[in-house]
Amino acid sequence: MYDIKQLEDQWKQYKKKKLKPWYIGTGILVVLTLLLIFFQTNLKINFDALKTYLDTSKEIQPLKNNDKSEDTVVLNKMEVKETVLLDDALEKLEVKDNIIEMAEKVVKGHDNILVDIPILDDTNEHHDEDEIETRKKVHIEIIDSTSVSGYKDVEKRFFESHDVDDALFLAKSYYKNGNYEKAEYWALETNKLDDGHEESLLIFVKSKVKLGHKNEALSILNSYVKQSDSQEAKKLLYRIENDKL
Amino acid sequence: MKSRYEAAKNVFVDSVDIDDYIDLDSSVTAFQQLQHSMDKPLKMILLFGRPGTGKSILLTRVQEKLKHQKEIHYFDTPAINEKEFFHKLFKVLTKKDLPSNTEVNFAALVDFCKKLRGKREIIILLDEAQMYSPEMMEKIRLLSDSRAVKFVVSLHKTEDEDLIAKQHFQSRIWEVIELKNATKEDQTAYIHKKLLKKNLFEIANSIKAKNIKRIHKYTKGNYRECNKLLFTIFEICEYYDKNEPSKVNYAKISDRIIEMAALKLGYIHV
Repeated sequence: MYDIKQLEDQWKQYKKKKLKPWYIGTGILVVLTLLLIFFQTNLKINFDALKTYLDTSKEIQPLKNNDKSEDTVVLNKMEVKETVLLDDALEKLEVKDNIIEMAEKVVKGHDNILVDIPILDDTNEHHDEDEIETRKKVHIEIIDSTSVSGYKDVEKRFFESHDVDDALFLAKSYYKNGNYEKAEYWALETNKLDDGHEESLLIFVKSKVKLGHKNEALSILNSYVKQSDSQEAKKLLYRIENDKL
Repeated sequence: MKSRYEAAKNVFVDSVDIDDYIDLDSSVTAFQQLQHSMDKPLKMILLFGRPGTGKSILLTRVQEKLKHQKEIHYFDTPAINEKEFFHKLFKVLTKKDLPSNTEVNFAALVDFCKKLRGKREIIILLDEAQMYSPEMMEKIRLLSDSRAVKFVVSLHKTEDEDLIAKQHFQSRIWEVIELKNATKEDQTAYIHKKLLKKNLFEIANSIKAKNIKRIHKYTKGNYRECNKLLFTIFEICEYYDKNEPSKVNYAKISDRIIEMAALKLGYIHV
């Protein structure tokens, strides 16, 4: 046996060749496992989103039931608006007119809409002003935030109700969509209704900066910081001064 | 110093030696079947199987066992030509040598055989019969028709040889015995018995069931291939035992060594 070294080399080559499919198989398995983990993580996120959605739906459901329980109440005739108030992201919005016949008429159930309606006292026919002002907000239908008609509906309603929330909502939405002129206008409108409303002031200042009136914005913000010592305002001031807005 | 594997290696030197004959279940069956066939009034018996299935050793075993009971002759290697074959046959039948410059008259030989009917019963074991020409096989058949001479024809089983068998012998009265490759159990018994016959108990014990499985996979149960593989395995072991003892495990034969032997013999490739 003189060729043992050569035979050993051949065996090493053979072993490598034989193990090659195992290495490849293991590699494929690892990749598949990683992909599986990746997809599972993504699915988990989707489940979370779904869960949030379902939770929201659950919140809506009892309110709907409450509405129904009030269906038989006879009310004074008045007109209210239905609106969808979403989270701070204000990515989506639905606005829908809803006339509630409040005078001697049964109020019908509402269809999946967050509604500003007065709390009704079905035991007393005399309704106090305060009670009417207490409202419920229910989310119902969602459409895209780019819906122009949606904003117009909110604006229209604002001119009738002069609601701070509506004005602030419009200011935030327009700012988010890059319509800084309108954002500035609605922030001002909000401030007119509530002059201590910090958020509207900040949107107003930010809109000013975006429209190129940085000095004016800084002047307003500096005054506000001195007056309120607000941390949010200070942060915004820092960002504007450093052009990080 | 002599390696313990040297003796083991020599056990598996491929040869048709009656001393190397191993009684296995399958070989005992084949032997009995052949013996039984030879007792029948048959003219020719066909023994066939793939090379290395033990045809030659079986014929040797039959001749060795029955030589005192029957007039039995074993033609191990085929004659170079027809003349030589008939010279050989003439000597068997007449117990006389024919002068080298003479030829056998085939018709006279057939007549001679006919005259022997009832007086003598001669059995010719014809190994490697696939080497004979169809014409010669036809003459052998004519001789067997005399009923004084019985032929056991051993053939390699290949597609062509099956064809020869069909063409020349299928229509005659034949007993057909087929030898097959060994099963895993037979191969285990074969290897262990061969080693134990030479008192190599430790080495026989070092060949585990897992090794046999691998050996059977490479050799497909063929005895000749098994001999070749075992010879090479022990040759490698012998080398390591003498030169690099750290590479040999005396308790069991490693897969590595079996694979190396298989590579050397071409059962597996890089």
